[in-house]
Amino acid sequence: MKTNDGGDTMCGNGDCTALSSTQALRGTVPISANGPIVSQAGSPGTAIELSNLSFGYGERPLFDGFSLDVASGDFLGIIGPNGAGKSTLLRLVAGLLRPLHGVVRIGERDLQALARRDVAREVGVVLQENPFAFDYSVWDVVMMGRNPYLGRFQSPGKHDRQAVKAALEFVDAAFLSDRRINSISAGERQRVVLARALAQEPKILMLDEATSHLDIAHQQLIARILSVLNRQGRTVVLLSHDLNLAALYCSRILLLDRGRAVACDVPERVITADLIRAVYGVEPIVTGHPESGRPQVMLPGAGHHTPVSKP
Amino acid sequence: MRRRLVPAWVGLVLLLLSASVLSIAVGPGGITGAGMSPVMSLRLLRLALGIFAGGVLAVVGASLQGLLQNPLADPFTMGVASGAALGASLTLVLGRTAGAFAPVGGFAGALVTMLVVYALARVRGRVTVTGLVLAGVIMSFLFSSLVMLAMILGRRTLGEAVYMMMGHLGAVFTGTTAWLFAAVAGLSVAGCAWLFSMSRSLDIMSSGEEAAETLGVDTQRVTKTVFVISSVLVGVVVSFTGAISFIGLVVPHLVRMMFGPEHRRVLPGSFVAGAGILLLSDVLARNVVPGGLPLSIVTALVGVPFFIYLLRSRL
Repeated sequence: MKTNDGGDTMCGNGDCTALSSTQALRGTVPISANGPIVSQAGSPGTAIELSNLSFGYGERPLFDGFSLDVASGDFLGIIGPNGAGKSTLLRLVAGLLRPLHGVVRIGERDLQALARRDVAREVGVVLQENPFAFDYSVWDVVMMGRNPYLGRFQSPGKHDRQAVKAALEFVDAAFLSDRRINSISAGERQRVVLARALAQEPKILMLDEATSHLDIAHQQLIARILSVLNRQGRTVVLLSHDLNLAALYCSRILLLDRGRAVACDVPERVITADLIRAVYGVEPIVTGHPESGRPQVMLPGAGHHTPVSKP
Repeated sequence: MRRRLVPAWVGLVLLLLSASVLSIAVGPGGITGAGMSPVMSLRLLRLALGIFAGGVLAVVGASLQGLLQNPLADPFTMGVASGAALGASLTLVLGRTAGAFAPVGGFAGALVTMLVVYALARVRGRVTVTGLVLAGVIMSFLFSSLVMLAMILGRRTLGEAVYMMMGHLGAVFTGTTAWLFAAVAGLSVAGCAWLFSMSRSLDIMSSGEEAAETLGVDTQRVTKTVFVISSVLVGVVVSFTGAISFIGLVVPHLVRMMFGPEHRRVLPGSFVAGAGILLLSDVLARNVVPGGLPLSIVTALVGVPFFIYLLRSRL
């Protein structure tokens, strides 16, 4: 899967919206209590397989016998309260953390047996914070995504430059090429970091709160880019505190709570008033999106509990 | 913003050449005479030592700044140079034969300090600016005291202790140490080349350790390798020149302003610039006051204001 078919860009036209709810409702697989939770059957092959994973910081185990399958071609949203283990899960899958027990498989290969470079060819990761100690050009930053393909003394070749150019065009950031990474806006920077992940030509793309600092226009732009990538066949895993964004764009949602998978299913079955109340401890109002019918979460007005003094 | 690389290189090479000429020409005593005058041969040795020390310290500083994503990293501010000075002092005071192992002692002292400071300064996968500076200052303070103690117990002169802690290019070469120096200089060139071969990994690590790992960089291996090579380099330099301050801090920043942040340019640029600036500092150090000054007095006068500027702009 190459990034250089960038002609299929996102944004601005209607065909970029997420899959319709009826499509997404097909092929549902209920959660079983013991067996692995299967997210999205349908497309062949498993992109990510976690089996019987255990991990903890210090004394307290966070994950204990955790299993999850993500089918290739899935668009999985992972939601859950702070401390639920979303970022830890991402780091276990990306090989940034090692599980105490259990196995992580990427494209049916054991992660432990793969060199970092090999993992980087399979999995692209966008982290929430992307500080740069030194002021590289945007082009050079995206070229870092070619590292897994370059030997120690090898200079980037024509194909590498093409991949970088295509990735920048894909996220609508080609005009930033010559700018310095520390002089562009947060939204632009997040697109550049996404382009760097695309330059890795990964089969799996994982994003950790990649939209949380961004305005709604940039949130939408990133989400639409991910939709297009997903429809081109990439497996996308999006960690988000934004339940509504996840419900709109993801084909499946994994709801995590303290290292347990509470639910993993289509948004309509996960983002329900009951589950949100049980996990987050709030009284949500869940409605359907006027266009797609996807669930959308609102909180009750402040006026219901405390009087609001007018200025 | 494409930087003009050719003029920058020409400038650096001119800097090194003119510094070399000044280093040989300026100073008490005539260099002219039949064949190789004694003064001339001393100056040439001094020149070689200056190029070696300045170049190596600047390359190590640039590598550590990139590796630790920290603009204040440097062999001197991290206390590594002081650790090397202690290691070298201990071997020196153990006796004449042990003195030939000063570079080894310097390496051991440097590596231990590097690991201690790294452990103290690292918080959640990142070496914080303040943590590094604090840990470095504390370790330098400790090691400077211990160097003094070692020199006193070893019945060395106070002058020797001062030169060990503040640097000089006046190493006296006997037949053995001259060969040792030649071997060590060759080794150091290899070490710098090794660091250079890790340029791309160092570039990528400037976006953080976790991000670098997702881009296929084995950050643990890179960290270990840079630490060991840097310790070897600083250890051998300090065993010949004592601890010279701020060259490794200031020079890479100046070079980045000229070449941009890419290590494949910053590392060789730092070698040339570091050599040139150290030679100029040495010309000042031995000519402004009769009898000469320790090198760090000159380098600190430039380095400290620069350090304060970096600290203020990064906190």
